[in-house]
Amino acid sequence: MWVDLAITLVKILFIIGVTVGFFAPILTWVERKQSAIMQDRIGANRADILGFTAIGLFHCIADALKMFTKEDFIPEGANKILHTLSPIIAVVPAILTFAVVPFGGQYTIFDNEVNLVISDLDVGLLFVFAIASLATYGYVIAGWSSNNNWSLLGSMRTASQMISYEVTMGLTIVGVLMVYGSMKLTTIGAIQEDFFKWGLFLQPLGFFMFLAASIAENKRIPFDNPEAESEIVAGYFTEYSGLKFGMFFMSEFIEMVTIGAIMTILFFGAWHIPFLTTTTLLGWFDFLGTTGSNILVMLIQVGVFFSKVVFFIWLQMTIRWTLPRFRYDQIMKLGWKILLPLSLVNILVTGIVILVLN
Amino acid sequence: MAYYVNRNIKMTWWEKIYLPEIIKGMIITSRHFFSNLFGFIPFFLGTQKERKIMTVYYPEEQVQYPIAYRGRPVLAQNEDGHPACVACGLCEIACPAYCIHIEPGENSGKQNQYERWPDVFNIDYAICIFCGNCEEACPEEAIFMSDDCEISMLDRKKMLYTKEQLLTPVADLQKRIEFTRNMYAKWNY
Repeated sequence: MWVDLAITLVKILFIIGVTVGFFAPILTWVERKQSAIMQDRIGANRADILGFTAIGLFHCIADALKMFTKEDFIPEGANKILHTLSPIIAVVPAILTFAVVPFGGQYTIFDNEVNLVISDLDVGLLFVFAIASLATYGYVIAGWSSNNNWSLLGSMRTASQMISYEVTMGLTIVGVLMVYGSMKLTTIGAIQEDFFKWGLFLQPLGFFMFLAASIAENKRIPFDNPEAESEIVAGYFTEYSGLKFGMFFMSEFIEMVTIGAIMTILFFGAWHIPFLTTTTLLGWFDFLGTTGSNILVMLIQVGVFFSKVVFFIWLQMTIRWTLPRFRYDQIMKLGWKILLPLSLVNILVTGIVILVLN
Repeated sequence: MAYYVNRNIKMTWWEKIYLPEIIKGMIITSRHFFSNLFGFIPFFLGTQKERKIMTVYYPEEQVQYPIAYRGRPVLAQNEDGHPACVACGLCEIACPAYCIHIEPGENSGKQNQYERWPDVFNIDYAICIFCGNCEEACPEEAIFMSDDCEISMLDRKKMLYTKEQLLTPVADLQKRIEFTRNMYAKWNY
């Protein structure tokens, strides 16, 4: 029992460390630097420690210091409790979804079964969507409690956009569930050991629709109407400053990682290398003994998983810095008139194909 | 709420799908991304001097300004260390911003090479508008626009440059002198 507890604690610390401690600050740097390089610029490189700039990496530290030391401003007439609460409501679901996200398979280490997922729920996929949609409350409350017209407009747009695209997202997932026959994320990941059973090949239309819907959920360009700078200042977090603003900022970046992880598990072969099954890998490192080979394979597969996540983050960044913004009516049109019917068609076609094959 | 503007955009079926066009655009941006990313690596390793990116790290790296660039006006100093200026005051008159102040010094009887020179020659860069009229007005080829534009200061009083600060050897100004000769010869002064 104590061993299980210790393993779970290590996994929790690892996930928190990777998402909050590594990805969230690094992604602020990546965002700047990648946009700069894509546009033939140099990008952030002025923050230095003793004249040493490390290609701008110290900007993460400078950002964090700035956020910590800024004045925490609550506007006049704002609801103080809700104004303080909403960034927490926004950021907690983003981290919480990682509870069911497997970042590796099952390994035997010192006669202990180690399953690299914090909580292996049977309804893991539903849990992800249930928790992720909770974040909407954070955004809506933020806009409502700020006592600002732009914030309210932004939160209204957030609510409508999130609801529209959650429908598409849910229906896209139905196709995936029909193909794999399980809601358990670990099972879905384990099935994709076979390269030709990757979600990308079984659900090609679903992949693109899920990508579009999840970027819309994350409110990034081309779906960034809730925080459109040129229209409504900064949307729902117009009145936020300091660490509260930082929490909204962080939740956006953690959501990017979450989307990358979910995409990897559902469509991109989870922690598997194409054409290399776990058994083959274990066979290669057999000379290290059971524990040694298991640890090595575990490290390799966790590395593979996170490199896939990094690829999806890169893809989202590229989309963000390539495409212009949709207009509000275009977003609604795309969500309700194109993606929703397409996802229904996707379910129908998947059902027919499964029926014919059986 | 919204009214529709007929922009007469005829899209083909292929463009209406939207996805291929997105991918086409992303290929372009990714090409820039990767070519710049791998173009950076030899630059940071020091094996390659030139970056592909045009942006300049300003204070560390500087570009050569074109010769027609009008920076701060300076006084030409002859080879023997004497200013070429004869304190005629034409630049003072030509200056639209009144930033030049000249007090002439004269030869008192004993004849030598120089008859007149400026005792005081001040240019207040806080007032100067870098128009180049002084250069155009000068009959003695004594005042020239240099390529130096870094004259921002925290104290306004320090921006008033005296004769000693303004004097620049003629050898440094040779290109600008030739340029002004060509330039003003065209207009047949």
